[in-house]
Amino acid sequence: MANTEAALQDAMTSIEGALGVALVDYGSGMALGTLGGSQTLDLNVAAAANTDVVRAKLRAMEMLNIQDSIEDILITLGSQYHLIRLLTGRGGTGLFLYLVLDGKRANLAMARHQLRRIEADLEV
Amino acid sequence: MTAGAAEAAGTTPVRPAVEDDPLARLAGEGATGALHGPVGALYLSDGAVVHAESPAAPDVGWRLTARGRLSPETWEEAVTQGGPGYRTGDFLVEHGRLSQGELELCHLSALFDAAYFVLYPLGDGQRPPERFLREARHWLGPVRPVTVPALQREVRRRRRLLEQAWPGAAVDAAPVVPVPDADRRRGRGAQAVCGRRAVLRAADGVRTPVQIARALGRPAFATLLDVRRLTALGLIRPPDPGTTEADRPLPEAPGVPETSLLIRIRDALEAL
Repeated sequence: MANTEAALQDAMTSIEGALGVALVDYGSGMALGTLGGSQTLDLNVAAAANTDVVRAKLRAMEMLNIQDSIEDILITLGSQYHLIRLLTGRGGTGLFLYLVLDGKRANLAMARHQLRRIEADLEV
Repeated sequence: MTAGAAEAAGTTPVRPAVEDDPLARLAGEGATGALHGPVGALYLSDGAVVHAESPAAPDVGWRLTARGRLSPETWEEAVTQGGPGYRTGDFLVEHGRLSQGELELCHLSALFDAAYFVLYPLGDGQRPPERFLREARHWLGPVRPVTVPALQREVRRRRRLLEQAWPGAAVDAAPVVPVPDADRRRGRGAQAVCGRRAVLRAADGVRTPVQIARALGRPAFATLLDVRRLTALGLIRPPDPGTTEADRPLPEAPGVPETSLLIRIRDALEAL
């Protein structure tokens, strides 16, 4: 039964190569919590901008008439991975976790697995 | 309502800039209490915002029960048992009804949602609250305090988002009228995404965005944003700029039960 700060802390310490993490409300694009980040990585700006990414993907799915939900979205940059995981929450909370990983140090499969666990900890 | 300094001043602009309102001053003083008025209340503890409520935004209890996360009885029990000691939130967590994380997320989301409508009230002539009741506390209890500058930044950001989506504020408080062929057009490129689809479906030409949010158990701000985006897509008809709240004809639906009741009474009388 983690609180949000502990969940974000967990993500930063247990996920190898984590550079920043945010918990974002995609109805408004607001970060409800952030941890990490840097001068070149403003997580509040990233939260709002990535809300548009999620919305664009949902729109694409609707245009293609795909009746499914998004589990996660992976964006691969030259030196980073950006991972977006939509929370399914029993209350249908409309949130996603946004994780920025260092491409050299990250283990992508492990990171996805750990994000799933952190989501479960938040909601149980 | 007592005639406070705010009403007496008379010259206060209808919608003062967020910077000018008493909130920053109270934050500076490290005040504890409730800044309240007809449009809602912001609760402060040691100068930080711990709770916000507005009649426009579904509150924590409504959010948790509308979608079945908690039963109304469970919520009621927590308010009854935890409320008198200002610890309804703690009661829910201690009794395993919610995790601390869920409570925090639900509470924060509700806090920012209500705060938007407290600081930018809907409706002509409405102003942010200016009366302060010292030492007032909310029965939910502190969950995660938000600093006043952080709250003001976020509320301003939300304001900009709405203006970017569709510049006319008239849609915010008017009944949401879908264009006649909205469904057909949606199928041909003008897409309504996720929450927006639910909003469009709930638009019956009578309910306002806030009423739709309540019916769906969604945040009011997100619904407002959806309505503005749907208006920009041409799926919702913008209200006629010439009509104001006062001269807009009353929607028919609320009158319907009364008429049917009158007819039933007449029939019953005739049957005597």
